[in-house]
This record gives sequence, C-alpha cells and structure tokens, in this order.
Amino acid sequence: MTDQTLLDPTNERVPQPRARAPRPARLDGVTVGLLDISKPRGDVFLDRLAALLTRRGVRVERFRKPTFAKVAPADLRYEISVKCDGVVEALAD
Amino acid sequence: MHDIVDLEARGVPGVLVASSEFVEAAAAQSKALGADPARVFVAHPIQDRTDAEIEALADAALAAVVRGLAGDPD
Amino acid sequence: MNGGRLPEGLVAIVKRDCPTCQLVVPVLAKLAEAGLPLTIYSQDDPAFPPGLPVVDDTGLEVSFQLNVETVPTLLRVTGGAVVERTEGWRRDKWEDLTAVTGLGSGLPDYRPGCGSRTVEPGIAEALEARAGATRLRSRRVAIGALEDPIEACFERGWSDGLPVVPPTPERVLRMLDGTRRAPGEVVAVVPPDYAECTVEKVAINAVMAGCRPEYLPVVLAAVEAACTDEFNIHGILATTYFVGPVVIVNGPIAQAIGMNSGVNALGQGNRANAAIGRALQLIIRNVGGGRPGGVDRATLGNPGKYTFCFAEDEERSPWEPLAVERGLKPGTSAVTLFAGEGSRGVFDQLSRSPESLTRSLAGCLRTVAHPKLVRDYDALVVVSPEHARVFREAGWSKARLREELVRLLTLPGAEIVRGAGGIAEGMPEAFAAGAWPKFLPEGLLFVHAGGSAGLFSAIIGSWKNGAAGSRPVTREVMV
Repeated sequence: MTDQTLLDPTNERVPQPRARAPRPARLDGVTVGLLDISKPRGDVFLDRLAALLTRRGVRVERFRKPTFAKVAPADLRYEISVKCDGVVEALAD
Repeated sequence: MHDIVDLEARGVPGVLVASSEFVEAAAAQSKALGADPARVFVAHPIQDRTDAEIEALADAALAAVVRGLAGDPD
Repeated sequence: MNGGRLPEGLVAIVKRDCPTCQLVVPVLAKLAEAGLPLTIYSQDDPAFPPGLPVVDDTGLEVSFQLNVETVPTLLRVTGGAVVERTEGWRRDKWEDLTAVTGLGSGLPDYRPGCGSRTVEPGIAEALEARAGATRLRSRRVAIGALEDPIEACFERGWSDGLPVVPPTPERVLRMLDGTRRAPGEVVAVVPPDYAECTVEKVAINAVMAGCRPEYLPVVLAAVEAACTDEFNIHGILATTYFVGPVVIVNGPIAQAIGMNSGVNALGQGNRANAAIGRALQLIIRNVGGGRPGGVDRATLGNPGKYTFCFAEDEERSPWEPLAVERGLKPGTSAVTLFAGEGSRGVFDQLSRSPESLTRSLAGCLRTVAHPKLVRDYDALVVVSPEHARVFREAGWSKARLREELVRLLTLPGAEIVRGAGGIAEGMPEAFAAGAWPKFLPEGLLFVHAGGSAGLFSAIIGSWKNGAAGSRPVTREVMV
C-alpha cells in the first residue's frame, strides 16, 4: 500500500495568533464605547456599566448594533474606532 | 467576537462580555479567528433576571472589564 | 523523469507482456551495438529487454507524457522534441527512422503492436488525475499507508458524524467535471470564518458528501444562496434555535439528476436528495468553520441538519412551482433556501372542502414557534398530492390558500399578549388591542411534494424572519 493523499476540505486557515491592541495605562479621561449587541437585557447591563464607569472618570459613548446575529455594520465599527479608546461589547447570551 | 477582533485590529482595545454559556463557543471562535480578545463571563441565565440582578452582574464584572481595557496586558 | 527533457536520439517504449516487443528485442540490440544513442523505457519490467540498458517507466510518466498508445513505439528525438515516431514493428518504418538498413532479418515485415499500459481502463483515469491534479490548489493532506482514509477524515474533524467519502484528487477531479466553472473561481464567502470558498472546495466537500458530478451545479447554487446577507447563514448557525438550511429544488435539473419529489420526499433513500443537502452542511462546517459546540450552539437542533433537501413535484402540482412564484421564468432550474426546523405532520383524512382542509392547516400552523407568537416566524407548507387534489378540484390558487390562512390566523391581541392564558410567553403589551396576523403573506411558502397516497401534509417552521433573521433566497442553477 502506498501513501494516500486527500485534498483539504477546510478553509486551511492556520491562525497566527494576533496580538491584542496596546492598552492605555489608566482609564481616567479615556472614552470607552459600550456596544449593545441587541440581545434582551443587555441594555440594563450596559446602563449599569455606564454608570459605574462614569463614576470612575471614564467618558462613555453608547452604541447599538441592529442585530446580534450579524457583524456590526462597517460604518458603526468605523465610528467606534474613531470616537473611542476602548470598547465593551455586551451581552452575548 | 468578530466586532471586537475587528476593532482590536484597528487599535481599539476591546472586551467581550458574555454569559457563561458562551465559554466554549468563544474559545472556538477565537481559535478560528486567530485572535485572543479579552473576555469576561457573567453567570447564566440572563433573560429572566430582574433589573437588580443584572445590575449586580455588572457590578461584579466591572473589575474584570476595567482590567481588560487598561493597564498591563495579561 | 518528470516532464524534463527527453533523451536525444532513439527512444523505444516497450513492455514485456507484448509479443511484438519480444519480437523486436534483437532489433534493439543491433541498434545499441551500432552505437546509436538509444534509450529504452519499459512499462512493466525494468529487466526487459534483458541484456540492454533499460529505464524503468513502470510509473508510466514518460509513456503518458509521450501519449504512447501502442507498444512498441519507436521515436526519434532531436533538440528535445519528437520529430518522428512509429508504432508496432514495420521494417521499412524502423529503417527510415533509424537510418539503419537490414534490420530484423528473419522477422516478418510487419507485426502490429499491443495496447500501451497507459490506455488500460483505470490507469488512464489515474494518469489524467495525476496530470489534472496539478491544477488543484487545495492543501494536500498525507494519509499514512496504514491509515484508514475514512477514519482519517473523522480524526481531522471533517465529518458530520457519519462517514464521509475520502476526497482523493481523482475523485475531486471527476467531481469538477460536473461544472464548466474554473476550480479557482470564488463561489461565496462563508461565515462564520468568512472564508473564501472556491469551486474546488465545494467539489471536495461534495465528494465527501457522496455527490455525483452532475449534482455539483445544484450544490454551487445552494452555497451561493446560503451565503447571501439575506439568508444569513451566520445567524442560522449561531442561534440556539432549531434551524438549518432547507434546500428545495425546482426545474428540469431535479429529474435530470434523479432527485425524489414523491414517496418519502423528505426522508432518506435518494442519493441526490441526501448528498446535496449534506454537501451544503459540510461546506458550512469545513469551509465556514461552523461546528456544533463551536459557533453552532443549537439547544436541540434537528435531524435535518445532517441533510434536508428535496425536489418539488411540479408535474402533478395544481400550482406554479415555488421558484416561479418567487420570480424565475418557468422551466428554470433553481434552488430555494429556507431556514427551517424539522418538519411536523398535518393529519387530515376527512376534509373534502378546501375550507375545511385550510382550517386543519391553520390549526397546525398556529403552533409554529409558539401559539401566541405572531409576525416573526415564517412557514413552509409541503402539500401532498392527495391534499393538493382538494384545492385543485375547488379551483383554489396558492394565493387564495395563502389569503385564507392569513385570515384564519389573525389572532386577537388579548389572546396573544404575555400573560394571557396563564402563559408568560407571548407578544408585548403593545399588541394587546386589535388583531394580528400570525403570518405575513410573504411568510407562507407552499411546495407540492410527496407520495400519491396519504392525506398528510407537512409544515416546516422557520427561524425568525426579516432583517435580523433569515429570509428565503432563490437562486438559479447554472449548469
């Protein structure tokens, strides 16, 4: 019997782990975006997070994507990237 | 998770908050995407909790969220 | 020797298992003795002819490269190119070609040759495959000689739980014969990994699913349809709900490839039905990266996620085909993708009037998703021939049936709001007043299929509709 060859049915991605973006040393004075993925109750969670972060001196911007089932629209992602120094996406259930 | 990975690639630090039911799915997704974004898990269930319960989850998650957004990388 | 330059001078291709090749051994010996540059390739035994230097071509690379159909073949090579050739033994030809006279004294003037090994059935195909395989770009995965290829596919995570057909280059090349599209052409970008899926990748997974090459155009159309924003396969995959893609085939292609639209149409037993639906699922899994336990977190799922594909019985239908109703020209082959859960049965053996039968359907349709939920979920109704007859005899069009169902399923707000009937689930308070149709007209699809005996139809409930969910998509099949 000789060696057999099969063709790879996958997308062949050999993921090269990507490093995370650099973080600021501290959060005060920073703008953090809160991205609501539109699952029920996520708004309650983010409302509370917003209050807690604001108390710590963080500027909070709220965003919402139209549906949790699809990636956020390109212009929403662009807006977040331009306005925010950090982002929290919640609440996946 | 795609959104967070996309924003990280644009230089915006991100944290994904998900219910504990999501632990495996998130691990699988991060492996497939070749990225390892910061994630914070809160206790399932979510949908039939009262507002007060959800706020308590947020309180409990705050420290981890802040760590994911600022300071030394893990 | 692998596509490199041919040796200069005389080249002879022979095989031991050929009386004519045996016959010309003394001729070859004489040519060698005369000091002519002579290279002899043997197709079956490097020890033949004995006493002469022979190059082993049991791998048939040179024979294939030279398009040898008969042995012996004698060629003259000048400047790397074949300038002359002759097949079998013919003294005059051999003398011309070699410029040597007096060859083969004692031999007959002429003896025909035998078939070259390269044209033997099976071998010819494998050689074609080896050559064609160079145009395939997918990564090669080596399976050890002692490994079972079927187990290897399981171990690498390529299976849906059932054995797959190991995708060898030969099988994939044969599959690619089912389309005129180039293997490298990108068919779709597949969620959740948003990976590019080429015709070649579709073919590999189609082989694994058990497709025949003639099914490939249908699979290609299904992949295209599934990966549209409208259909939202990403959402369908990532939801905890039951659904998977359901593929309904219309048009001449269905019969041409032997699909089933009759007895047990939604069930097992028909290769085309089974393999086409399965190929789509394998592509989502392998190319898209969507697997259960990974991105797929369905609470329960449904058995249709192995495969769920069938053809509409257009011939005996009282109505126009689904694809035509959805805008395609009659006679067009097409697939319609629907985000569906498992089917549920509608039993009605006594209704003779369309009004009565419609009420039965409505009673069953009410339970799609939840009896108190309206608007957000669609349904595909598979109407069997015996039930269709009731509508045919009364002259009811699809439009009439649809209108009647929408009307019958317009529900009072008081019944459907949360808390009504002692059930927490239901519509928000804003729905409390008035009456609400459970289905938008475009949310009810009808297909005619099934065996001719049986007063039963089927309902396939959908995932949520609209921009946040999934909408059915129809796509032409390009043969």
